[in-house]
Amino acid sequence: MAAKRDKLYDFFDPSRAKGPRSGPDIGKEVIPQPMSVSLLVARIKQALADAMPAPVTVVGELSNVKLHDSGHVYFRLKDSAAAIDAVMFRAAAGKLKFTPTDGLEVVVEGHVDVYDARGQLQLYVERMTPMGAGSLELAFRQLKEKLQAEGLFDAASKKPIPRFPRAVGVITSQTGAAVRDISRTLRRRWPAADVYLLATPVQGEGAAGQIAECIRLMDASASALGIDTIIVARGGGSLEDLWAFNEEAVARAVFAAGTPIISGVGHEVDVTICDMVADVRAATPTAAAELAVPDASAVGDWLSEAATRATRRMRQRLDEARLSLESIRRSAVFRDPLGRVRTRMQRVDEFAHRLRGGVRHRVAQARRSSEPPAARLAALHPARLCDRGAAKADSLLARLRWALGGRSKRAGDALAGIAGRLAALHPARLWDRGAAKVDALAARLRWALGGRSKQVGEALAGAAGRLAAASPVNRIRLARQQVDGAARQLDAMSYRRVLRRGFSVTRSKAGRILRAASEALAGEMIETELADGRLSSKVAGPWDNPGEPAGQDHAEAPAKAGPAGQPAPRPRPARKALDAGATLFD
Amino acid sequence: MTNDAKEKEKLTFEQALAKLEEIVSAIEEGKVPLEQSIDKYAEGVELVKQCRQILDRAEKKIQLLGRGEGGQLEVTGELDEVPDDAAGA
Repeated sequence: MAAKRDKLYDFFDPSRAKGPRSGPDIGKEVIPQPMSVSLLVARIKQALADAMPAPVTVVGELSNVKLHDSGHVYFRLKDSAAAIDAVMFRAAAGKLKFTPTDGLEVVVEGHVDVYDARGQLQLYVERMTPMGAGSLELAFRQLKEKLQAEGLFDAASKKPIPRFPRAVGVITSQTGAAVRDISRTLRRRWPAADVYLLATPVQGEGAAGQIAECIRLMDASASALGIDTIIVARGGGSLEDLWAFNEEAVARAVFAAGTPIISGVGHEVDVTICDMVADVRAATPTAAAELAVPDASAVGDWLSEAATRATRRMRQRLDEARLSLESIRRSAVFRDPLGRVRTRMQRVDEFAHRLRGGVRHRVAQARRSSEPPAARLAALHPARLCDRGAAKADSLLARLRWALGGRSKRAGDALAGIAGRLAALHPARLWDRGAAKVDALAARLRWALGGRSKQVGEALAGAAGRLAAASPVNRIRLARQQVDGAARQLDAMSYRRVLRRGFSVTRSKAGRILRAASEALAGEMIETELADGRLSSKVAGPWDNPGEPAGQDHAEAPAKAGPAGQPAPRPRPARKALDAGATLFD
Repeated sequence: MTNDAKEKEKLTFEQALAKLEEIVSAIEEGKVPLEQSIDKYAEGVELVKQCRQILDRAEKKIQLLGRGEGGQLEVTGELDEVPDDAAGA
């Protein structure tokens, strides 16, 4: 240990150190005044400055690149044999378009100096350009790779552009060709949309920040202004001119916007980062406007076609409706509404005829069969026997009459049922309903069509005009005339004609046809329909005047005959024609 | 667009077109009764009219936006026609 110490001591022994100059003056030489470190470094700096005046331009490879929060960039510039530390302060680094990265071959310009605090030699870099590619190309590539990795270009995050925007917001220069092209295209294709311009410088220092700010502002005010599509655009230019649209600030703002953005920057060949982040990329500003709005004339054509299609089909359906009305009119029940009644009446007549024949035959038979006993009893009391025979025949006749009354009542009921159904189906009424319906439909169609064609614009006017030409209203009017004619014919055949012959229909207050005297209660109001109108009557009670001629046992008929407490004309002539019961016992 | 006009346009153009398309197919298919299809037809005519009104809306000048109080954008004027020989970007 001691030896080592000695050695160390020896090493620093000034006498030894000055060995070569040792001589008799040893120990007497004046040691020069030591200078301070600061002075030393200052002298080095000075020597360096003298030897190597600024600026120097150096080519080398970047390594140990540190992008400091302060904005300064620290790195080491090296080649295969040497290296030097370097710094690029914020003021210079802020102008860099690309990001310095390890391994990048660059040319730097600056000056060499000593960092006083460490006495360290450093290269102070003012400018840096990449070797090979231009710095803009490099910056573009770098940002593209970065944003791609972050997913800013992903198709999944692209928002759809509204088909029919209410308002389009345009962000571009107020004085450029782009705003003119966009404005013309938007108004030519889709004048319906409002167009707002938020003007911004599109090139030069700070342009990117302003464009980004405009995008944020417009997006924030989009709902208030009704803007549902934003166009960010700039006309063609050099890569430098378009550069603002390749900056990260713009890309971030476009990506963050909630409103769909169409980017139309530069010419067809130019693709900017903004284009890639935008929801839709257009080749030019004009193309951006074309993508933003539909073509009004194409939409107008579609509208006309839709109107024509609907109108054609409606006309067809009205024709169909008219035809089906026509076929109802032609159906048997309307052609001859009383045909079925007549058929039934004829059968009742035949039946009555046969019964009458049968009754006479039986009476004659009875008389014949009573002859032998009459002859036998003639001695006793022929006249009484005869009387008995006659009485028996009478009672037989009465029973038959009773039986017939029942049958004729049933026949009458059947007829009344038919009449009731016919009344419900009353042709005039049905026709009224049908015609009213057709009328209402026609009126509504007229409303839908009429008076509007003017307002509806030229193309629709064409369609409406065609419809008017085909004149569904006229068709309806024609149908209506046919209906009226048919109604008159039907009316002529309806039960009303029967009413004109002196019959009447009696209805309860509720409108139900009364078929039996028992259906009307004393004190009830009833309505009697006569040929020329209706009477209302109050029922006094059943008609029990014994002096009244026969007819009360078979009163029911489709058109109920006889007065109901009202001196209606006796339906005498009708009895033969209509009232089956009345014909039985003439 | 005035507020009144905005009020009238309850349906967006796109909704109106979609509805019109639906009405036209309903009428064409003929599955609805005649009365209803006349209602639909009337509705369709109304929609066509509305759409036409939107389509035929008069051209308007481009409105210029500026930053108003509170950072919201507001209309500050109208853009004069840009001449054809406008230079620059």
